[in-house]
Amino acid sequence: MDNFNPVIVAFVCNWCSYSGADKAGGQKLDYPANVKLIRVMCSGRVDPQFVMQAFREGADGVMVLGCHPGDCHYRSGNIKTLRRFALFEKMLAQLGIESGRFKLDWVAAGESKRFQEVATQMTETVKKLGSLSIRGYVESEAA
Amino acid sequence: MNQKKIALFLCRCGANIAGAVDLDTVAARFKDKSGIALIATHDLLCSPAGKKFVEETIAGKKPDGIVIAACSPKMHEKTFRDVAGRAGMNLAQVTMANIREQGAWVTPDKNEATQKAIALISAALGRGALHENLEARSMECNTDVVVIGGGVAGIEAALMAANAGRKVTIIEKDISLGGAVIKTEEVGPSMECAPCLLAPRLAAVRDNPNIRVVSNAEVTDVLGFFGNFTVRVKKAARYVKDSCIGCEACFEVCPVSAPNAFHLGLGAKKAIYTQFPGSVPAAAVINRAICKHFTDGSCDACVAACPFGAIDFNDGDESLEFTAGAVIVATGFANVNPSSIPALGYGTLENVVTMPEFERMASSNGPLSGEIKLKNGTAPASIAVVHCAASLSEHGAAYCSGVCCMTAVKAGELARKKIPGVTVVNIHDRLVFEGPAAQEFYREQQSKGTIFCKTSDLAHVAVTRAGDKLAVSAPGTAPVTVDMVVLSTGMGPSPGSNVMADILDADCDAAGFFKPDHAILHPTGSTIDGIYAAGSCASPCDVPTAITRAQAAAGDALAKLVPGRKIELEIMTGAIDEDKCAGCRLCIAVCPYKAITYDAQKNKSIVNEIICRGCGTCAATCPGGAAGAKHFTNAQIYAELGGVIHG
Repeated sequence: MDNFNPVIVAFVCNWCSYSGADKAGGQKLDYPANVKLIRVMCSGRVDPQFVMQAFREGADGVMVLGCHPGDCHYRSGNIKTLRRFALFEKMLAQLGIESGRFKLDWVAAGESKRFQEVATQMTETVKKLGSLSIRGYVESEAA
Repeated sequence: MNQKKIALFLCRCGANIAGAVDLDTVAARFKDKSGIALIATHDLLCSPAGKKFVEETIAGKKPDGIVIAACSPKMHEKTFRDVAGRAGMNLAQVTMANIREQGAWVTPDKNEATQKAIALISAALGRGALHENLEARSMECNTDVVVIGGGVAGIEAALMAANAGRKVTIIEKDISLGGAVIKTEEVGPSMECAPCLLAPRLAAVRDNPNIRVVSNAEVTDVLGFFGNFTVRVKKAARYVKDSCIGCEACFEVCPVSAPNAFHLGLGAKKAIYTQFPGSVPAAAVINRAICKHFTDGSCDACVAACPFGAIDFNDGDESLEFTAGAVIVATGFANVNPSSIPALGYGTLENVVTMPEFERMASSNGPLSGEIKLKNGTAPASIAVVHCAASLSEHGAAYCSGVCCMTAVKAGELARKKIPGVTVVNIHDRLVFEGPAAQEFYREQQSKGTIFCKTSDLAHVAVTRAGDKLAVSAPGTAPVTVDMVVLSTGMGPSPGSNVMADILDADCDAAGFFKPDHAILHPTGSTIDGIYAAGSCASPCDVPTAITRAQAAAGDALAKLVPGRKIELEIMTGAIDEDKCAGCRLCIAVCPYKAITYDAQKNKSIVNEIICRGCGTCAATCPGGAAGAKHFTNAQIYAELGGVIHG
């Protein structure tokens, strides 16, 4: 398990979290290369299906990172995200996907350090959980 | 459709990328990939030579799109969109792969950084292959301005826009302009006469042919969007024609009196009144609720007294409509009411007044003609000024307004001018004087004799009656006994600001002030494009700051709305596929900008691409896959996902 190298996808909003990651870059705050970012304009754009698609494609962990509540560039897009994923997380558990594999969090544009911490912690968590086993299960069921 | 051919440009960024990522391995990985038109590595793509290289390569090899594997799109996406545009390529065919901020700079292991760069480039190639052209869009705009609120900020914004040649309408809820500042005697720290400062500004508004003042009026609806607003206004009947010059002949004959709101209830006014001599507009107003012509039909005295035949009992309310490209809100503030802290005695103890009331007393145009008096008609020999009354408190304003210390210290200066030998004690905790001039004013007041006592517990300052006098106790200081207590109150939002925000569809912060579009970068913009918050409706501020905000708001509107020039619109908007839309309207419920409307005849939702700002929340919400986000389509995001996961 020590050699397990998880794939972690982070959907990040353009205005806060993507900028936070850029700032982490500018300050050379390294974080595990496992974490790969996909930019959306607002965390409100992230359809739960994107998360499911990420797991289906091979991600072992998925994050959605947006502006802190109250700071959304689009007024309230992140609040819609918050609501949507509160429900979604319950559904994930029912599908047998451990709660640690999905994370909704807020990283502001200035929070480079926080971005580094969130990315590092997520990688640690998912490393402990190991490879997403449900994928094999679903595939064998389908076969 | 044939597979797109994409040119991949790898930037060494000096040693920034080349030192951390093995670009040869990256190039080798994509060399034989289908859909690659060419791969080129360059030392610095954003340099003049680099840009020329990209432009010539696009023009010569004519790829369908390009991927720039370099830095953050926030740094140079626009740079390369412009380069592509010069070479005849649509801006949407440029995709950045951020292998510097997300790769080279944060991944110490070169092999890992190289593999991550491959994944990010693969994602960019995947999504870029699906990019559809986006066309820059623009719209004709209305360049007129509506200003809501005619205080010092609204006046300034109106004058600035009008002097630039724009038609401006000021909507004022009071019967004349001037707001809070006209009620002030002197503005610190320079102690300049406030009415004298404002008089020429009021005259400039009155005489400017580009400005129309609609007073005694309130905004009922604001429709539309940046560049094209419609503002609906209800103007209450005045019962006095515009031919009135405010000569006051009618005041003498009017038999009815009421408390004078302009004097904060300290004096009386007649049923026919103006706010002050020389007001703009000059015309008086009849208070229908108390005028005897309306209450019992017994009096028409003003009709006979008026030398201009201006009384018009048949006047009625009017509904007006104005169009404008921008709306500047300057609805001001309200003084925090200290009666929420009973221990301060406001409203229960005689001779406990607020600083604004004290200022009305001291005003030469005030109800006492500038004489500071106790209720018994004598001048106070001693005055205590309590700072932060109902501020920094959950029972009043939870914050520091930042400007009231300046005003509170002014009480001593005003009192000494009027009452020789008066003792003035200021009871305070934190003192806030911003900048050298205010600090100097504070020191000057100390040297002139104002006593400053620091309390250790602001929440337990108490005022009680002590015979004919008032005793003020404050933890950490010796109790003082004085004739008058002045409560220095903070600035809260004006009472109607929440209603106004609802009408504008803009947001307020937790305290009730208008929330800025961006607190640092665009502090005078509201959360709605084209609607500005100037003056103290945005947050507590002093007069020069209110004016600066007004100038900033007007300046921004003037720069964005230029006659003969169209305004640029967001290109990455939402889009609804009519064939898939079932008319469920969930998208309308989640849109933060009310940019989606429902066409009942077709049973479809429709995106207004002028209002839409492209957040994509509708696309994530639509259960039928009808709502989409341009340049962030599901297919593009899935292609990107495949790239980052599989490399």
